Amino acid sequence: MTKYKFTTVEEMPPLAFSLESTREIPTGSWRHVRPVYRDKNSPCHVTCPAGEKIPDYFELVRQKKYKEAWYKILEDNPLPGVTGRVCYHPCEGQCNRAGYDGAVAIHNIERFVADKNFKNRKLPAAVEARKSEKVAVIGSGPAGLSCAYQLSRLGYRSVIYEADHEPGGMLRYGIPDYRLPKKILDKEIKDIEALGVEIMVDSKIGDNVAWSELERYDAVFVAVGATHSRKIGAPGEDLKGVYTGIDFLKELSTGNVPKVGRQVLVLGGGNTAIDAARSALRLGKRVTVLYRRTRVEMPAVPEEIEEAEKEGVHFEFLVTPVKISGSKGKASEIELMKMQLGEPDESGRRRPVPVIGSNFSMRADTIISAIGEEPDLSFLPYSFLRKGIRLFVDDEHTTGVPGIFAGGDAATNPNGTVVNAIRAGKEAAISIHEFLGWRSRSNGVSHDAVKPEEVNTFYFPHEGRVEVPRITVQKSKTTFSEVNKTLTEEQALTEAERCFTCGTCLHCDVCMTFCPDVAISKDESGEYTIDYEHCKGCGICVNECPRGAMELVPEGAREAVEEVEHI
Amino acid sequence: MMEKNVANTKRDGLLHPSIDKVVVIEGTHAASHAVKLARVQVIAAYPITPQTSVVEKLSEIVSDGDLDAKFIKVESEHSAMACCIGSSISGARAFTATSSQGLALMHELLHWAAGSRLPIVMVNVNRAMAPPWSIYVDHNDSLSQRDTGWLQFYAESNQEVTDTVLQAYKIAETVSLPVMINLDAFVLSHTSEPVALPKQEIVDEFLPARKASFKIDTSDPKAFGALIGPEAYMEMRYKLYRAMEDARSVIREVDRDFAEKFGRSYGGLVEEYMTEDAETVLITSATAVSTARIAVDELRSMGFPVGLMKLRVFRPFPVDEVRELAKHVRKIGVMDRNVSFGATGIIYQETKAVLYNAADRPSVFGFIAGLGGRDITPETIKEIFSYLMNHDEPESESVWVSLKTSDADQGARPFPETGAGIRRSEGVK
Repeated sequence: MTKYKFTTVEEMPPLAFSLESTREIPTGSWRHVRPVYRDKNSPCHVTCPAGEKIPDYFELVRQKKYKEAWYKILEDNPLPGVTGRVCYHPCEGQCNRAGYDGAVAIHNIERFVADKNFKNRKLPAAVEARKSEKVAVIGSGPAGLSCAYQLSRLGYRSVIYEADHEPGGMLRYGIPDYRLPKKILDKEIKDIEALGVEIMVDSKIGDNVAWSELERYDAVFVAVGATHSRKIGAPGEDLKGVYTGIDFLKELSTGNVPKVGRQVLVLGGGNTAIDAARSALRLGKRVTVLYRRTRVEMPAVPEEIEEAEKEGVHFEFLVTPVKISGSKGKASEIELMKMQLGEPDESGRRRPVPVIGSNFSMRADTIISAIGEEPDLSFLPYSFLRKGIRLFVDDEHTTGVPGIFAGGDAATNPNGTVVNAIRAGKEAAISIHEFLGWRSRSNGVSHDAVKPEEVNTFYFPHEGRVEVPRITVQKSKTTFSEVNKTLTEEQALTEAERCFTCGTCLHCDVCMTFCPDVAISKDESGEYTIDYEHCKGCGICVNECPRGAMELVPEGAREAVEEVEHI
Repeated sequence: MMEKNVANTKRDGLLHPSIDKVVVIEGTHAASHAVKLARVQVIAAYPITPQTSVVEKLSEIVSDGDLDAKFIKVESEHSAMACCIGSSISGARAFTATSSQGLALMHELLHWAAGSRLPIVMVNVNRAMAPPWSIYVDHNDSLSQRDTGWLQFYAESNQEVTDTVLQAYKIAETVSLPVMINLDAFVLSHTSEPVALPKQEIVDEFLPARKASFKIDTSDPKAFGALIGPEAYMEMRYKLYRAMEDARSVIREVDRDFAEKFGRSYGGLVEEYMTEDAETVLITSATAVSTARIAVDELRSMGFPVGLMKLRVFRPFPVDEVRELAKHVRKIGVMDRNVSFGATGIIYQETKAVLYNAADRPSVFGFIAGLGGRDITPETIKEIFSYLMNHDEPESESVWVSLKTSDADQGARPFPETGAGIRRSEGVK
């Protein structure tokens, strides 16, 4: 710029400006709050029981780095192909986009990533050095698999004892093919085995394997699940033609199609009931689900109930079985009683109360009872602390017997979902690691998540949630082929773009662009630096940040940035 | 809207070689196309009433990728001008458009733009100020911004709108002052006329990319337009004053240069029509000029020595041109489509003011007409001429033409069909 002076008209510039650089004016001294970059938790991450770092792997998806995205999920969950299909995805319920134009279809992206890596067998290497200790895991369901997998990441060798002929537990025997094809499960189990996890099938503790065999291990994780169907407690439930939901599904998945009459009645309102109903429908039967409360109280995943309805499953609400009768030892009729909803019980749901004198009968060729499952803990050699029908464990999954840990549906506080079992396995692995004398890296996940109002939606044009491709209802009710399909790459990328990436800086430069004091700069590595000599603390960068990855802290306050690390 | 090239092959031979195509478009779009041809880099606008389709068209042009510009939709006209100031001071060619109350809301920043010596060009669609609310033409909105340091042009036709936008950037960037181009609401803004759009390469020759004499530089941050003490403020104002004075010759030169390249001229600051031997001349501006041309033709055919001066540029005021005219005419009438309450029509005041110190001072009459979109017809103009020719001196400072009143003394009378009773001649000076 030309040298100007402000002495005469001729020497003056066309516009008055300072002769010295304004860098000399330390406007930073005016500040009473300072903006800082602080990555925060997204609500999906905080809500995910497995703790998947959803915004991180979404960013990798957007960059089309599908293998890296898969690895990112695998840090927390070795079964993304499974959970991408069957998880009840509480993450989507908390998605900040839900109130804007529909939650991001997170589980569909997870499934896309897993399927994109279907041919990819190499799981990431262990994060810790090899250890000499060995751990036994009882049960190869999601809790057992997750625990053994995380232990192998931590350097341990583990052996899984599986009572059944094939590994997977409820994933294999409880979830029908149209929701979870066996090849997906097999692939992910093989990947875990490839890490050195040994799975011994047909090995039932307390039966063909003695409990004492486990004494050579340094720790044991009990994850036998809840495999026994609860009794209805009505006369006639031992008649032919009456199945438990678990047995029915297990028969189906092992290829022995059970004998089913034309009129099938399913008792219960949980996922097992819906799975059994939809499976029976696929055998060409007329299916009615009988539930003692109303639709809103049904514990099954709402989408599954909708699908069942679409396919033609009938529902009768507010009824409970009284008696099953039949002839020649075979069930043919069920007597039911009407119910009404009373005061809420300890579960918070309204308690069903019988309506006296309301009994009526229905024809029933086949009855499937799926009113709940409980664990079979009879193999345990000595008395463990129990809570009700389950093994009591504390938050660290310890049983009170040193070295013996438990989790999943066999232990306290299950919610009967795959992802909670995965969480239990992961947490138990960390507890075992600590029990064996190691210090695990902090697992202190802060539960504060970015709130919807912290997202600057001006940066996000309205774009509806993806329509998940699926086979037609006409087709789906006649086949055990998978109902929902995997998103196409284009759909997955569009859907990943919808993610607000709450709380994670994507280096979009909005803060830098809007800073009125030009106090934000970007270095070669792409990181931002705030020039606090000149930042006046106006807060525009924080307000403008599309994803709530910045915040204003009072000047002089200790900057308590806790490094949150995950195993 | 489909913009069809209406130049037909038979006439093509007559078209000036600079013409790319002739399209029938409304005045607002005549501005938009010129902005595109001028390769404007930043357009900032507030899209709500009283905004017009100038920026609507531009938003389409930009989103279609036909103009490489940032289109910034802002939350008020005040912000629109702030945006133009920010982009212009960083060296970009900036544009905005507005109208009436929107222009009023910009007022503070009009001072900032001129005081910062930024060559921003703005199209203002002249609409009457509210209340009572009006979307029809008069010039009080732009004339209220008289003292902000902006050049002001008033267009007579859609072609002139296109041509003036191109001229305006050249003038603005030469004198480092912003330019406001005014067009009459509806009469021009929403009326379609054939407009010859010039070829891009010839526009580029005429108007090369802007070279800013100074601009902000983030690597050497400075305070622009910062506080200045009494020891230098007056000198800064003098520089702005000088730039506006110098703008007169720049406007004339740019118009000559434009005529050479494009074959059309607007006479610089004014255009005279049949003034050479005229005794009585009407000064007016904008679309009323076209109407006045018809009235002058009619009166001439009856043998009355009348003429017309089109005031194309209001700021800087065409002092020399008006004084030159005064040398050879007996009476000057000024028709204002505006009013300054407590005084008179604004152009009337300015005309009298430049003549007071001149050697030749004909009688000057002030007329106020066409406020809030009231039609100005050839009859209106002839009424004014009848008044002018039958009075030696004005009876009052402002004659309100076609006013609906029972006061017989107020206003002018219809021009008699045969011209009977109208004084024929005062004799050429």
